[in-house]
Amino acid sequence: VTPAGDPADGQWQRVHPLTPAVKSWQALVVVLFLLAQDVGQGALRGDVPGGDGLPLDGLGVGVIAGGGVLLVIGLALAVGFAVLSWRMTRYRLTDEALELHHGVLSRKQRAARLDRLQAVDVVQPLVARIFGLARLNLEVAGAGDSKITLAYLGHDRATSLRAHLLARAAGVTYETAEAPQAPEHAVFELPLRRLLGSLLLSGPAAFAALLVTALVVGLAASVATGEALGGFAAAGLPGVLAVGGMLWGRFTKGFGFRVSTGPDGIRLRHGLLEQRSQTVPPGRVQAVRLRQPLLWRPVDWWQVQVNVAGYGGAGDAGGESETTLLPVADRREALTVLGMVVPDLGVSPPEQPFAVIEAALSGAGGAAGFVTSPPAARRLDPISWRHNGYRATEQVLLIRRGRLSRELDVVPHARTQSLGVRQGPWQRRLGLASFAVHSTTGPVTPVVPHLASSEAARLLDEQAARSRAARLAAGPERWMDHAATGQGTLEQPPVGPVTAASVPGAAPPAAAS
Amino acid sequence: MGSTRAAEPFQPEGVVWTAVSPRLASARRLSGCVPLLVLALGAAVPALVVPWAPLWILAALFAALAGWVFWLAPRQAAAWGYAERADDLLIRSGILVRRVVVVPYGRMQFVDVEAGPVDRMFGIAQVQLHTASPGTDAAIPGLAPDEAARLRDRLASRGQAQLAGL
Repeated sequence: VTPAGDPADGQWQRVHPLTPAVKSWQALVVVLFLLAQDVGQGALRGDVPGGDGLPLDGLGVGVIAGGGVLLVIGLALAVGFAVLSWRMTRYRLTDEALELHHGVLSRKQRAARLDRLQAVDVVQPLVARIFGLARLNLEVAGAGDSKITLAYLGHDRATSLRAHLLARAAGVTYETAEAPQAPEHAVFELPLRRLLGSLLLSGPAAFAALLVTALVVGLAASVATGEALGGFAAAGLPGVLAVGGMLWGRFTKGFGFRVSTGPDGIRLRHGLLEQRSQTVPPGRVQAVRLRQPLLWRPVDWWQVQVNVAGYGGAGDAGGESETTLLPVADRREALTVLGMVVPDLGVSPPEQPFAVIEAALSGAGGAAGFVTSPPAARRLDPISWRHNGYRATEQVLLIRRGRLSRELDVVPHARTQSLGVRQGPWQRRLGLASFAVHSTTGPVTPVVPHLASSEAARLLDEQAARSRAARLAAGPERWMDHAATGQGTLEQPPVGPVTAASVPGAAPPAAAS
Repeated sequence: MGSTRAAEPFQPEGVVWTAVSPRLASARRLSGCVPLLVLALGAAVPALVVPWAPLWILAALFAALAGWVFWLAPRQAAAWGYAERADDLLIRSGILVRRVVVVPYGRMQFVDVEAGPVDRMFGIAQVQLHTASPGTDAAIPGLAPDEAARLRDRLASRGQAQLAGL
């Protein structure tokens, strides 16, 4: 084990020696708090002569001392375990994989293939930030918890390791000890005013406003009538607090949100207390959703969420913040970022991509080739039946939903997992069916509700063929290999004679295992 | 609406559905009716001792549910079907709520074959396909064990031949 060598020389490395302190800080704080309380109470009792507290001599001192000893023992155990856990944790980066060995009682080893890398995050919780440390998460596609977490590394080391990981996953060869940092340019920065505005114009805020109004009215009534309505206020307060906590959570997550782009993908940076820096390489975004809640319509703001394999899996606390590409953006910014994650909408020249995307965001009916629910669907969805619909281009499936609050799902044909059609008893009577595209775990669940059942059948058939063709023409997992061969995915790839074998890297070595 | 080519999503043109074993109906009847009948008895026996109307109603309710499951099971079993096409597997199911799922072989991550105690008693097994999506609900119950094994091997080999990244 080398304490501080080159992070990528293939040797076993340890995580940062301050890790135990950062990991056990919560235990430390609790112990210190209890200790302070204990001592404080004891001092208070001692200070009051003839009070009804325990006399300081005898039993009282015994209790206090005993509690203190237990606390110190508990603290020592916690710290000892953390140190032991640090001793047992080591990682190494080889050309093919990142390996992690950890665990005190049961030893765990995990190796993640770099060509399966889906995203790399560098996360700095508040306490780690104070010490200049960071946690590195490597996401590979897997069901459930499929990430490798290195906690904690020095911040510089974490970013250097991230550069190594991305370069090797991309198939870039380099001789230097330091991996080349991909150049990046900023695309989006969230102004604080808009973040606050978006929170004010959100459902929870509206709910809180109603609640507060009700409370004020209730209190005024109680003052006026002289009746005690304290219980009423007590019932409302927890609700206000819960909503406040929710808004505060959104505020800290969206604070300082920045998006930039480079050859190794999209980078997101955000967070007030816990700072998160995410890198999602090209082609790793499985599906995109643009959302506009009702209250955002006057200002035309949109939220952009994505499905990335591995993000938002089981037991991921940071699910929502991981999968948000833009917490709130105007239409132009949202479309710029959509263009970064889905470079080709597959709209052919006679048609204007702009017209299609406008229709997809805020159109209605059959404009720009959209297929919507038939009039029979009015009985099941009287408000938005003319707005719910889909449009298939050469590269993606656009699904539009909603009239009051709007949603647009974009799924590249090459990223479709499986397809489904569902028909409930009412739909059957009206000759309707709902069509679904199954994507990886995440906030985007693309569904077209209430299509004519013949239309659903046709879409099922055609979409299966389209996604098959797109899959065969899909690029390799190592995106820089692909760039080197000069067949950019930005151009329309040749469909037909191309087979999986003729596309370099289409069948990665992992297929053999 | 004007299309005549595939007017019905649950009966696409050129697809021949393979039915599952009718033994699935027996298995579903057993595993559905027996617990309900036990519950009905559990309500009826004390009702004999204490003549209290709600107990009889409860017993009748459970018995009616058991009868409904008995009636429903063969129809549900008949609604299950699957079809192996060149590039994907189709699975359909359901009477009240009808579903059809298309799973491309190239998207398959793994295949499960499962047979519970009741299933084994009737000599059937369930094959389930998994993709990278949790939304893919592609299970075929009520397959004869050798058919389940054949399907598993066939799907696995086809999945490997057509493997694609995510």
